Amino acid sequence: MNRTVLFRIFLDSALFVTIINGWWFVAFPLVIIGAWRFYYTIEIVLAGIMYDALFGMVPAVGVWGYAGTITAFGILIILHVLKKVVR
Amino acid sequence: MMYIRTSSRPAERRTRTITIALGSIVALVILLQVFIPHFLPAIFTTIARPFWRMEFSIQSGSLKSPTELLAENEALKIRIQELSTQDASADLLRTQNAELLSVLGRPDLSLTSFNSGSNATGSSTTASSSMSDIRRTYSTLSSAGARMLAAVLVRPPLTGYDELIVDAGADQGVVAGAKVYAPGNILIGTTTDVLGQTSKVTLLSSPGLTYPVLIGANHMPATAVGRGGGQYEAQVPQATKIAQGDSILDASLSDEAFGTVTAVISNPADPFETVLFSPEINVYQLRWVLIDQNNQSQPYLNTQKTVSSVPSTVQTVKSTSTKVKK
Repeated sequence: MNRTVLFRIFLDSALFVTIINGWWFVAFPLVIIGAWRFYYTIEIVLAGIMYDALFGMVPAVGVWGYAGTITAFGILIILHVLKKVVR
Repeated sequence: MMYIRTSSRPAERRTRTITIALGSIVALVILLQVFIPHFLPAIFTTIARPFWRMEFSIQSGSLKSPTELLAENEALKIRIQELSTQDASADLLRTQNAELLSVLGRPDLSLTSFNSGSNATGSSTTASSSMSDIRRTYSTLSSAGARMLAAVLVRPPLTGYDELIVDAGADQGVVAGAKVYAPGNILIGTTTDVLGQTSKVTLLSSPGLTYPVLIGANHMPATAVGRGGGQYEAQVPQATKIAQGDSILDASLSDEAFGTVTAVISNPADPFETVLFSPEINVYQLRWVLIDQNNQSQPYLNTQKTVSSVPSTVQTVKSTSTKVKK
């Protein structure tokens, strides 16, 4: 197992722990690091869905109940475009 | 010069495949939310619940030494004895209250707080380590099991949404729309999403939610508007003489405690003043809550309903009306 794979596993584990505890402010930089470092980090979207499923998806808060999923997609797309421009 | 090809697939094809995969995930999430709204929350809550329970157990001191636990047990037994004595005097007041209410022609308004039911405080209140035992014990202490004790697994401000996740769900008899109280009989929220073993409790202080209350000694009716984190505000006319420290009551017949006035912001040019208030407890430090088991499911709490179906008691308001008056 090379270092990239190990780093990705570590990042995903950290992401899982932060999402479980609802620490979105810790998950946010991890997501950005993951999206920048790796090619198409789909686990970011899964993290967003998981966050919303745990803490959101309540009709009383409307579309804000899906903020995690929307943000994850936004970060993924923005960083994908940014990487194409920069690299 | 020759280069070793790193992948057998061209880059565009791989990008297209991943884009299709992402699109499929979105479509799947939307379809699941439309047709089986509890599917994703149930799956992820099942995964997260053991971690939450473990964290709660550690915070509750499950890893304490046997000596410490025995000492704590002794201290709790002494405390129970003290409370039993106090409860006896509370019984007298309760009886007196019932008599006065019947004299006033309202015998139906007898106290139904969880403080009542002192007859059960005997040997049944032994210190118990298991959550279900504690819940059963507390339900016995409460008014004929009308409220259920639930442990708070996740609370603000760590969660992005102004809500609690508690460890009691449909399996324990919790229904959507049930009122949730903090210890001390303080109304703090309602259950909005009930799963098998857990429930989401939306705090009444969630931004945009409103709730009818009575402010001060004169019971000035007002609408409490949530500001998040257990904080509320309400608009009242200038001449009402509301001061810091005045109590806030729930505007229902039960007159349950709602909070205390923390500040009054008034502007002589404005006919209304803004009353800021919060409950006596700190929602960030809540470890236990009581869930009303008498409530019936309310339409606005059904996850399949839209915000437009919110009744007048708890409803979202337009963002313009939630602005704090400076």
